[in-house]
Amino acid sequence: MTLEFRGKDSYTGSDTAVAPIIGGPFTLVNSENQIVNEQDFLGNWVLLYFGYTSSPDIGPDQVRIMAKVIDTLEAKKNLKVLPVFVTIDPQRDTPAQLRAYLKEFDPRIVGLGGPVSAVRQMAQEYRVYFKKVEEEGDDYLVESSHSMYLIDPKMKVVRCFGVEYNAEQLSKEILKELKKHQVNA
Amino acid sequence: MSLEAYASAKRDEIHTDVLLQARQACYKARDAFYSCLEKHSDKKPTEIGSVGLLYPTECKPSREDYVKNCRVSWVKHFDRQYCKTKRTQRLLDDKETRRGV
Repeated sequence: MTLEFRGKDSYTGSDTAVAPIIGGPFTLVNSENQIVNEQDFLGNWVLLYFGYTSSPDIGPDQVRIMAKVIDTLEAKKNLKVLPVFVTIDPQRDTPAQLRAYLKEFDPRIVGLGGPVSAVRQMAQEYRVYFKKVEEEGDDYLVESSHSMYLIDPKMKVVRCFGVEYNAEQLSKEILKELKKHQVNA
Repeated sequence: MSLEAYASAKRDEIHTDVLLQARQACYKARDAFYSCLEKHSDKKPTEIGSVGLLYPTECKPSREDYVKNCRVSWVKHFDRQYCKTKRTQRLLDDKETRRGV
């Protein structure tokens, strides 16, 4: 017996695999002390990173990669992707702290924080795990996955990138997604 | 705490010890210390750092400089990473004597 697939929707393997829906609405405070929610990002491609300013090494590396990617896409392809940094250490990463830290990498990076409950809610929606470790009073590290999320103009999470991607590879992959989106639009 | 209360609260204090200049000073001191360890790897390590890292007295000055320039949690993080790398290196290099282990 042979199976025939009729109709315009053909099975294309991994492209049509149903992935878990991550992401969702959020309301946080940016580095200018303004309240921001996901509606403010609609219409933009967003590169989102959950990190913290007290990260000894991985954090600064990832933010540097993020800044380089944004630059590459804008300079070489004239594509605007909005870089967003959400802190998973809201107690220490106040709006002022985020502003001081992020401007050293790229003034375009949007920093978001807020009360612990608000950050925790967003992290939960994005399935981001984070945990305080090595705690000695106010000095601690935050363990997390350090992943970057590519989000489309409808605020839908399209890709998730781990730390194994360098700036060049990340730019290439993001470009692929943007082109795919143009084709499907 | 409500978002409005959070946004309006004045919190201007900045932790400058994690900003660029401080990070670079920390990395420099850290690398100087680890170079010292490599340089004096033949000496007996009698001093103890964090997370069980041992080092010779020849590296005490660079250790002090490293600890002065980096947060305690960062020192522990880098020391742990260093120990792990050393352990892996030892396992890879020690092919002959560790057969069957």
